[in-house]
Amino acid sequence: MSRSRWISSLILTFSIPLVAVAAAFASDAGTQYLIALILVWSIFAVGFDLVFGVAGILSFGHAAFFGAGAYVYAVLTLDYGVSGLAALGAAVAMGTVMGALFGVVTLRVTGIYLALTTLALAQLVHHLVEVKLKGITGGTDGLAGVPRPELFGIDFYDDRMFVVFVAAIFFVLMFANAVMRASPFGEVLRAMRQNEVRVEQLGYDVRLYKLSAFAISGGYSGIAGGLLGALVMYVGPEMTRWITSGDVLIMTVLGGRGTFAGPVLGVVVFEWLKESVSGYTEHWYGVLGIVFILITLYMPGGLIGLLSRLTKRRAQPRRPRRADAERASGRSSEAA
Amino acid sequence: MVATALIGLSIAMLLFLLAAGLTLVFGMLGVINFAHGAIYMLGAFGAFEVYRTTGSFWLALVVAPIVVALIGAAMEVVLLRPLYDRDHVEQLLMTFGAILVIEEAVRMVWGLGYRDLPLPSALEGSVPVLGDQVAVYRLFLLAAGTAVGAGLFLLIEKTRLGMVLRAAMSYPTMVRALGIRVDRVRTIVFAVGAALAALAGAIAAPIVPIQVGMSFTIIVDCFVVVILGGLGNIRGAIAAAILLGLVQAFGQHYFPSWIEVVTYVVLIGVLLIRPQGLFSAAPARKA
Repeated sequence: MSRSRWISSLILTFSIPLVAVAAAFASDAGTQYLIALILVWSIFAVGFDLVFGVAGILSFGHAAFFGAGAYVYAVLTLDYGVSGLAALGAAVAMGTVMGALFGVVTLRVTGIYLALTTLALAQLVHHLVEVKLKGITGGTDGLAGVPRPELFGIDFYDDRMFVVFVAAIFFVLMFANAVMRASPFGEVLRAMRQNEVRVEQLGYDVRLYKLSAFAISGGYSGIAGGLLGALVMYVGPEMTRWITSGDVLIMTVLGGRGTFAGPVLGVVVFEWLKESVSGYTEHWYGVLGIVFILITLYMPGGLIGLLSRLTKRRAQPRRPRRADAERASGRSSEAA
Repeated sequence: MVATALIGLSIAMLLFLLAAGLTLVFGMLGVINFAHGAIYMLGAFGAFEVYRTTGSFWLALVVAPIVVALIGAAMEVVLLRPLYDRDHVEQLLMTFGAILVIEEAVRMVWGLGYRDLPLPSALEGSVPVLGDQVAVYRLFLLAAGTAVGAGLFLLIEKTRLGMVLRAAMSYPTMVRALGIRVDRVRTIVFAVGAALAALAGAIAAPIVPIQVGMSFTIIVDCFVVVILGGLGNIRGAIAAAILLGLVQAFGQHYFPSWIEVVTYVVLIGVLLIRPQGLFSAAPARKA
């Protein structure tokens, strides 16, 4: 990763949580809740993108990690009286273990097979949560009254303070993400996206990298799930549904996969679309589908790709358009 | 016993019709159509609508697949044509977007509730087979599935048209140079795949609740079939469909609450031992 990119990711790592907290203190309760929601989903999307955008592996099973984290948090705090912080730790652990398990099962399949297999595995988890483990998970009713964590006697039931709490976690995870992406580990993942076989020939253990990416991504998803449970104070089986995997995929593609800020921007736009379009039509999901299709067709780099294309064109107006577009969206080298 | 086995085989036929469409489109276009289940659902709703206006089940069985084939052709032209030289995953993303739009459209037109389509009177009741009572409709399903499968196989493997189709997919530039419009061939293949899915939906319509959720349940089973059988491998798809159909039918009989879990356990087991699928000769998958 180039030096300027590394610096801009660090700036984003610091500024996004600060802006979120400032905005939360300057706004009403509804907006505070929305900001917390965006931060939580951003953690999920950033974790998802480590596998999808950076390593180029399309997983359709991330709802399983997200949901598992949520249920672990809810069950531990509700039924066992475990403290919120410890339960969040357990949610991370659960997500990581599930990610590693999915990684193990799908180690030998790639591309679309992997997408289909992770989808099927997540469906198994959904079935377990909704039907087989009904006694623990509450079945289709889910678990209500999930408590928020406690720390130094601060009232996290105040959405403003909860935003501060989530922003702090978001900061740590974004920082870790920036370091990972700049490290040799991140480089290898990016190389795998371009040509897995070549990376293997260079002597890297592709399977180990894939497994690690899944495990880390699962950990991010797990804590996001636990935080969502705490924010909404409810955990239900729809969190493990394929729609949830689809939502995080849409967010990431919308913002710009494989880019540092893309997943976060995608979450913001997704939530904004949901808020504004659902005011006009109850069929907002169809509108979202159309937006998603247009982005896949015409803007594979997502909104971030579009932004960098616009700024680059202004800086170097004489560069040919097509090559410029390809470079901006990062497609030129992987088209083959 | 016999009845259960025949039920299993009729489930297998539905899965095979779906997997055949999916496999055809993948084998010839290199596209895995995530929206295949949504197209199956369109077929079922289409059949319901034709039946409601005309009162004829047989007409529904013919008209619904034709209409859906046209929708499929439009989908191919608008959505997939610009994407062929991109990565497979891009096409998966595109067809995922198509699911959202199709499902929402169905919800707008027909709402969220259940619809049902009565069995045609000629296919009601049951007949004795080897000392067991078997529903006539199950036998019809078996016969229809077998006929369509055989027809498809003959069309692709034995006719001149099939030869052109296969050639156009393997050597598009060469075939284009011979004066064949490869773009149109691709559209036709996708339309046929959609028609197969819609036919499966129309045939299933009298025996399943017609509703939005039907697309997802069936597509996961269908994916399990293609993963087990090996994508692009029609014989593998048949064998995997029969395996899964029998597991589900006997499961319904002996351990009804564990069918889904068993299905996935079979899938995981196969992936761990033979990731290339049960019936594929290819050593690895790079699709």
